[in-house]
Amino acid sequence: MKLLVIEDERSLLTSIVQYFNQEKFLCETAGSYEEGVRKIEDFRYDCIILDINLPGGSGLQLLKHLRLNKSRDGVIIISARDSLDDKIDGLDLGADDYLTKPFHLSELNARVRALIRRKYAEGASVLQVGPLKADLPSRTIIYADQPIPLSKNEYDLLLFLMTNKNRVVSRQAIAEHIHDGPSEQIPSSDFVYSHIKNLKRKLKEKGCQEIIHTVYGLGYKLST
Amino acid sequence: MNKTLQQKNTRYFLIWLPLVLLIGTTLFYFLMSTHAHHMEEEQLELTQENIWNMLATGRETLPFHITGEYDLEKGNPVQADLLHAQRDTSIYYPASKEWVPFKILTEQRLLKGQHYQLTTYISSREITHLVIKVFIADVFVFILLLAAIVIINRKSSGLLWKPFYATMKEVNEYDIIKNESFQLPTQTGIREFDQLNQVITTLIGNVTQAYRNQKQFVENAAHELQTPLAIIRSKLDLLINSPHLTEETASLLADITAANDRLSQMNKNLLLLTKIDNHQFPDQSEINVSVAIDKLLTYYQEYYDGALPQIRKSIQPDIHLYANTSLLEILINNLINNAFVHNLPNGYIHIELDSRSLTIENTGHTIEGATDRLFERFSKGREQSNTTGLGLSLVKRICLIYHFDVSYTYAENIHRITVTFPQS
Repeated sequence: MKLLVIEDERSLLTSIVQYFNQEKFLCETAGSYEEGVRKIEDFRYDCIILDINLPGGSGLQLLKHLRLNKSRDGVIIISARDSLDDKIDGLDLGADDYLTKPFHLSELNARVRALIRRKYAEGASVLQVGPLKADLPSRTIIYADQPIPLSKNEYDLLLFLMTNKNRVVSRQAIAEHIHDGPSEQIPSSDFVYSHIKNLKRKLKEKGCQEIIHTVYGLGYKLST
Repeated sequence: MNKTLQQKNTRYFLIWLPLVLLIGTTLFYFLMSTHAHHMEEEQLELTQENIWNMLATGRETLPFHITGEYDLEKGNPVQADLLHAQRDTSIYYPASKEWVPFKILTEQRLLKGQHYQLTTYISSREITHLVIKVFIADVFVFILLLAAIVIINRKSSGLLWKPFYATMKEVNEYDIIKNESFQLPTQTGIREFDQLNQVITTLIGNVTQAYRNQKQFVENAAHELQTPLAIIRSKLDLLINSPHLTEETASLLADITAANDRLSQMNKNLLLLTKIDNHQFPDQSEINVSVAIDKLLTYYQEYYDGALPQIRKSIQPDIHLYANTSLLEILINNLINNAFVHNLPNGYIHIELDSRSLTIENTGHTIEGATDRLFERFSKGREQSNTTGLGLSLVKRICLIYHFDVSYTYAENIHRITVTFPQS
């Protein structure tokens, strides 16, 4: 999978690249508007991670340029601006997703993978991770041909862990991922613990071995 | 007690004007009496002169006595010391059966070898009557004058101070948060008020500018903070995936993550506050508050998975408010969240909604110190290191926008926040 990250903040850029390299993505980078334009004109990418505030021009401008060239590359905007208008502008111009800074890399990963799944693997509505199978349209997790009855939050949580398999996902990242209250409020992560506990119990009831591990006090990891 | 300018002015007038008028009237009375006296004297002398002249020419024979006019006698029957001076006397008129007061003047002359004595009379009753009548008229005029002065003064000062009251009203209605332009009229027709308005306009202009700068600074600072926060967060995400993690570093990382998350939330709320201040939530629609609250409670129940305090509800269905959806959601969410976060183990939260108000009541610790700062930024209760201190400040700000009245009461470990909706 080929990824282009257009972000002028060097430090953030290296973080993203490092993370996606570990996820076996092929990462190209651009630190300015011109560089971004050059890269999108010359190559095709599975997904472009695009910052809005760039030296030399706006990321939205770049997006417009990209869509004018009939490119279907998936685009996820990452921006410090989080007003609804900014989001609508971005999505209107043809972005596939919009993520507000500061975000968790695990969340970005989940968004990138969801985007790639939607865009390129049409029909592939099943995500297989280890012994678990997620049937995305019906929102069910299947273990050994048996669906596991999960609440909405538990499903979202498990899918999030599956998407970020073999990685430590922080509790706050989980909390934000499954949160669907008012967007201005970052939820407390104190209650992720009880969700995880229920999830582990339900998996165990179906005979699934321990695949979710607690990593110190930091977060959780689904290992395959 | 303080009186209004007009009352004070009228009071001064009512104290001093009658005094001045009293003195004036008295003076007037005495002056008039003196003049009347003088006039009588002249009249008596004139009559004397006329009669002496007639007697001297002697062409006609004069009657020696006319009652109330004169007495002419031969010889000098009156002592010399009574001559040349006015005297009082009175004559009885049998027809009207009354004594009429007169002024008399007696002179003696030698005419053609014969001594004559002439006493002329003038009735002092008419003059006295005239003086009294004029005096009464004068008093009446003075009273009229007093009333006119007071009334005119009241009217004119009402008119004169009109620009002042207009200025006061405008200044009173000015709300710095609303970010309106402020300009007082500088053509009131009164130079002092023009100057006053000028000075106030300048002052408020400066204050507004300072406020805007401050706001801009907070906004910029919050925006600029987003990027470093994003960097820290991404580095932390990488770090927790490091294969060389030990329990000790993990514990350090957990603390750093928690602090960073709190910082992010704080920053987000600060941005939200500035956005509200900048009126970046203009869209308004009719919102069913009852449904919104129920939705939020369902969310909380799902999200917190049973670890919630007991929830009691008395929510009237279909209560509608006209507001921005996001802001109203934030308002309700912050209130409910506040009631959850500051609750006691085994406590409860009671939510009451009707068309007049929304009341959220929860059990909780005593708040130490003044509670009137509760709605201010970074005013926090104890033991709550994981809150941002901005939640209720947001509530207050949102209430301000929609003219909701928000109040807080506390009694015996029960905290109660009431938001009263304006009744249209």
